[in-house]
This record gives sequence, C-alpha cells and structure tokens, in this order.
Amino acid sequence: MTSNPLPLNLSRFGGCTLTGALSVTTQVRDSVTIVHGPKGCTHHNFSLLHSTMFDNDRVAIPDLISTGLSESDIIFGGEGALERTLDAVTKRDIGAIFVLSTCIVDTIGDDVAAVCRRDRGVPVLPVPSGGFLGGTFQNGVNNALNAIADTAEPCIKGWCVNIIGEKNLEYEVEENYAEVTRLLTALGIPVNLRFVRDCPMIDITRLGAARLNILRDDDLRTVGERLHQRFVTPFIPSFPVGLAGTISFLESVADSFGVNYLQAVSEEKVLQEDLLTEFNDITGTSITFDPALTDSDTFKLACEVADRIGITIDRDGCRVPLEVSPPVGTAGVRRMLHRWRRAIHA
Amino acid sequence: MMKQIALYGKGGIGKSTTSANLSAALSLQGLDIMQIGCDPKRDSTRMLMHGTFIPTVMDLVRVRGEAALSLPDIVYTGFNSVRCVEAGGPEPGVGCAGRGIIATFQLLEKFGALRGDVIVYDVLGDVVCGGFAMPMREGYAQDIYLVTSGELMSLYAANNICKAIKRLSSRTKSTCRLAGVICNAKNQPNEEELVAEFARRVNSTLVQYIPRDRVVQLAELNRKTVLEYDPDSAQAAQYRSLAARIMKNTRFTIPNPLEIDDLESLALEFI
Repeated sequence: MTSNPLPLNLSRFGGCTLTGALSVTTQVRDSVTIVHGPKGCTHHNFSLLHSTMFDNDRVAIPDLISTGLSESDIIFGGEGALERTLDAVTKRDIGAIFVLSTCIVDTIGDDVAAVCRRDRGVPVLPVPSGGFLGGTFQNGVNNALNAIADTAEPCIKGWCVNIIGEKNLEYEVEENYAEVTRLLTALGIPVNLRFVRDCPMIDITRLGAARLNILRDDDLRTVGERLHQRFVTPFIPSFPVGLAGTISFLESVADSFGVNYLQAVSEEKVLQEDLLTEFNDITGTSITFDPALTDSDTFKLACEVADRIGITIDRDGCRVPLEVSPPVGTAGVRRMLHRWRRAIHA
Repeated sequence: MMKQIALYGKGGIGKSTTSANLSAALSLQGLDIMQIGCDPKRDSTRMLMHGTFIPTVMDLVRVRGEAALSLPDIVYTGFNSVRCVEAGGPEPGVGCAGRGIIATFQLLEKFGALRGDVIVYDVLGDVVCGGFAMPMREGYAQDIYLVTSGELMSLYAANNICKAIKRLSSRTKSTCRLAGVICNAKNQPNEEELVAEFARRVNSTLVQYIPRDRVVQLAELNRKTVLEYDPDSAQAAQYRSLAARIMKNTRFTIPNPLEIDDLESLALEFI
C-alpha cells in the first residue's frame, strides 16, 4: 500500500491502476478496451492517453468504451451493463477485448472474470484494475501484461529478443527503444516483439519465440518471472542505464546468446569517451540535483556521469534537472548532458 | 414535532414484527405514522399491508427509472392509514444494498415523503456498511432502539450497533442517540433481567419486555398485526405499552459498547 506522499511516490508507485493497465491494452492495435465503471473513469484516461500519444507524434484515438455505470447499476450490480457492452463490442471485427475493472465494481464485487469467461468468439481478457486494493500504476501495467501474455502458447525459439513493458506514456519511449535496438544490432540480435507497443493481437502469439526478454525496468520483475515460467525465457531486468550500465547490458545480452561482445563493447566505450569529450565545456563546474524528483537509481547514475566528466556535486552548485527515470543507454546520457549544459550555461 | 425512530437488531430477532405492531399501536393513538422497511428482503410492512409485498422503491427505480416515479408509486397505505414504504434492494449476492438504502432516502427526501407524527425505520439486522447507518445520520432517526433477545448472538449484534451509534453520535451536529433496548423474548430463564442488565451496562434502559406469545404467529398466518388480529390480547397490550413508552421517552444516551469478554461474562451471570 502506498502511504508515502513524497513526489517520488507519485509516479508509478502511486497513480491509478486503471491508467497503468490502459497504458498497455491501448497499445494492442486491433483491440477494444472496455472500462467497467462510471463514465468519468474512461473520460479522463481517454484524454490522458490521447494527449500523451499526440506528444509522441502518434495521432490515434484510443479505442475505449465505458460500461457507463450509474447509481442503479451499483445498487443492483454492474454485470448486466458489462454483458450489454460486450454484446455490442463483439459485433465489431477485432482481435481482442480487454475488460478493465474500476474501484467501484471491485467494491461491490462484480464477478468480471465470470462474465468474461463466456465464449464470444473473440478473446475477452479481464484485467483487475481496482486501484483501492493497494494497487499502483505499475500493478495495472503488470496485470495487463500478464493477461495478454496468457493468450500466447510456448513456441520454437529463434535468434531474437522481446522488449517487455515499455513505458508507453513516457516522452522518450521511442528514443529509448531506438537506443536498445542500436545496442542489440551491434551484437547482431533482432527484436522479435515489443510487448506491448503498437502491435496487433496476432503478434502476441510470437511472445514465446524470443530467446531472451529485456524488461524496461526492474519493476516488471514479476512479469519477467511469469514469462520465464511460461515460456522458459530468461530475462534481463532492465534497459541499459548509465555509462557502465550500458556496457554491462551489452555483456549480459551477449552472454545470453553466447556471442562475443568484445568488439561491440569496445566500440561503445569509444562512443562514450567521444561523448564525454563533446561535453568537456562543462567539466570543472559544480551542480546540484532537484531532490524532489530524484529516485536513488537516477541519482546514482547522474553521479556516475558527473564523476566521469569531472563535475562536482555540491549543494551550492547549479541546479540541474533530472528525469524521473534513469537515462537509457549512451544516448540517454547524451540527452541528460544536454539538459545539464543548458542549465549550467543559462 | 415529528419523531423519527429506528429499530436495529440481529436478523430474525423480530424487528419487522415489532416495528409493524409498534406502527399499528402508534396509529391507534391517532398519530400519523410512516413505516420504512430498510431491508432488501422487503417484508417489513407486509402485516400492515395484509400480506401484500408492496413494490419496493429500488424495484421501481430499476424498472421505470427514477424520473418516471412519483410519491404515490412508492408509498402505500396500510392498516389504520399507516403509510408504508419498502426500500428493497438488489438480488442477494450482487450489487450494493447499502447504496440502495442511500438512494431510497434521497428519493424520499426529493418527494418530501418524510412527514407525519412518527417515522419508524425498520433496518437490516446489522450495520454492515455505511448505507445501513443511513437512517442514523443527521436529519433522519434520532432515537435508536435495539431489538434483542437474551441470546448471546443477539446481544452481540445489539452491542455492535451500539458501536455504530457511539461513532455517529460523536459527530458534530449529530442527533442520533440510543433511546433504549426492546427485549423480544425467546422465553429463556432470566431473560428480562439479562437484557435489562445489558441495557444498563451499555448506558441505556430496557424500554419494553415483550414475551413470546403464540398470538404473534397466529396474527401473521392471518396476515395481520397483533393489534388488528387480536386487539384484546395481552400481546397487543405489550405493543401498546411499547408505543406509549416510546412517545414519552426522554432518555437518549451515547452508548458505551461492551468488550466481547464482558458481554460473555454478563450472559454467564444470568444462566
């Protein structure tokens, strides 16, 4: 249960479970997500998803439908409203229907799973999303990923990896993916599936085909473990973060595939040295971080970069911004250094 | 001034029987009475309505929609002009009955239905959620009567309701108070003494001891209250006495619920 109101806890460890689940299910291209609850739960999430997608240069209308529960549905139970909505939605030609519960239907005890179990000729996947049950945004993400993963069957493995649980609402989601694929390409390993980002339901059947799963971050560990159990796919618990972290990421992935990483690592180290040289105009300065938005991983990695480039961390130094999540790969460090430079030269 | 009273107690203890006979007795004093059944099983007013299950507010809302309803749709006139309302609620096992009670109260407010000399609220066995505490909230019943027998489980439920009354009565502007304990007896030995002592220990009084009497069952089989079926019976006199004492009652207290151990040792004292 989240009881600490510090800004640090206002990100993925607070937040709305429903929003977390929606950030995943709305990425399945040919699916519809039913939000089983009052209209407002759908409306504000629709606005949030739409504007975030727009920010990420995707003009898409999230396919959300509310069961539109009213007071009488709460009193008499909302299962009938869900049945009616499902009847209407199944008439459309779609790959899957997600049914996300809200706080109120979990309070009155609607048996969402039982309603979803009825055969409708299309997968109907319930995702528990009632946030008051101690859930967080991250629980919603994990529950949705698990529900989708359960539709896939084990299959023959190929020479490829899956990317698991990208943060679809983060501004740099595509940049971070590009950085990971750059590193994977250096090792000659392609991506099998972005689980789940902008893919049709049919692609999910390939989930078991990867030899390795790369989780976006460690908060997806339970998802990684579940996928390991189901598909016997080992996982790396995080995208590469920071300079040393990027090198060890290359080593770990290469080890999983039994390939030689020496060339890729040496090229990456050269790239990192070039990067630090490029920013030597801020060497010798002193900086301080905004503590309110600094989690320990981000802080640790920022310290690593500061140390490598010769910047002192001092309470009286220039205040530089830090993102909520640590920088992904060498490219992420570059973007972070650009922000520091702007603050220092401002 | 309108008096609003609520009867709470364990399921099956005889709240509806007591409420219906109390309403009948009060109406026979020439008072304008309304009885509101606040239990989804909707049988509170049945004896006042000569065996008819009247349509419940919640059923009407579900079938016709709130906008289509008016006051005559939900209020039915029973024995001696007692006005009867049943809140109703969802089928067992689904939805939220507590919210149904809240919705019913809002509708009754909207229609200005809460009027008369006395309103009797007959409430579900236990205060399982906020909805069932609704009759005790500001603007509704000020006088709460606990209906119990001398059985431990019944006293346990009554004690639990004391906890709810204590919490609600501590709120600013709250007018809800424990008005007394009614013993609807199972004819156990020392039952009256036990319930009287329970009442004293929770900081209240035994308002009426109603002995078990076969006439209650006979009246119900004839779909009538005792007051109507056999007005000259001793049992009818008990209900008339209850009605008189309730109208004269001035002792309204904030209860002091017992710990379970104390409740058990109390029951042991009267075996």
